[in-house]
Amino acid sequence: MLTLRDSLKVVADPRNLDESAREVFETMLGVPCSNQSDRALCDADQGMESVTAVVGFGGILSGACVFRCNALAARRIAECMTGMEFSAVDDIVKDGIGEICNMLAGTWKSKVPDLAANCGLSVPAVITGSDYRLHVQAPEFTVCRTYSFNNTYFEMTIICDGLH
Amino acid sequence: MSEVRALIVDDSSVMRKIVERSLRQAGLESLVIFEAGSGIDGLEVLRSKTVDIILSDINMPLMDGLEFVRQIRSQRLAEGVPVVMITTESSEEHVKQAIEAGAMGYIRKPFTADQVKRRVLSLLTAA
Repeated sequence: MLTLRDSLKVVADPRNLDESAREVFETMLGVPCSNQSDRALCDADQGMESVTAVVGFGGILSGACVFRCNALAARRIAECMTGMEFSAVDDIVKDGIGEICNMLAGTWKSKVPDLAANCGLSVPAVITGSDYRLHVQAPEFTVCRTYSFNNTYFEMTIICDGLH
Repeated sequence: MSEVRALIVDDSSVMRKIVERSLRQAGLESLVIFEAGSGIDGLEVLRSKTVDIILSDINMPLMDGLEFVRQIRSQRLAEGVPVVMITTESSEEHVKQAIEAGAMGYIRKPFTADQVKRRVLSLLTAA
């Protein structure tokens, strides 16, 4: 019987992340999103206000799903989710970003049946600020993709520090 | 359909708003919404209010959605009221656990308003 480690290539396939992002954005927000290969867009945001949400994985895979975007993208996401307008990243916007990360994590893990059944999710944690970097140990694998939507963009990362 | 009273339980205020919007788009003419940010608060609402349907998240702090449903049934609150789980957990095992706890419906996040409408209307009609 194959273990999850044997299926690493399937688990770490970036297409799972791409499909998850499209599914969540098109279903819940009603907007398309597409792969954005220019990672420099996110690097240019260093020093500007950004929002990062983290949902942990526990079980046969341990790690995290990290969602990061700038303040404008965060407001646009919350506007699409709620139908309200936001002039700043307030508690509702942060809540919305946490929920997006939660749905992305859940949708991603549903792409692999073993993960869907044997890997749980933590409640989201949301970090805001303008001068921070996230450092996470990921000895197994990291998959990071950038996507664009509504003339802005976000970054999604799956970090795996353990496979059982 | 006359007035429908719905309880939405989710630790995310954004998700509660999205579910409420989906229910209103279902064409229910007169809809009264009660909200709770946790299973514990949800039980408190049910001790004082009557509802026709309950929609609950599963992954919540303090009391998760499955325990919330078990408590509803064991405390005989909202007897006969259908409970729909709305959650990111999608495996057959999770669905089975929800049904065994006492839920009568299951909607996976992300969801469309139409999915909520179809599930809720089918349960309200059957009740």
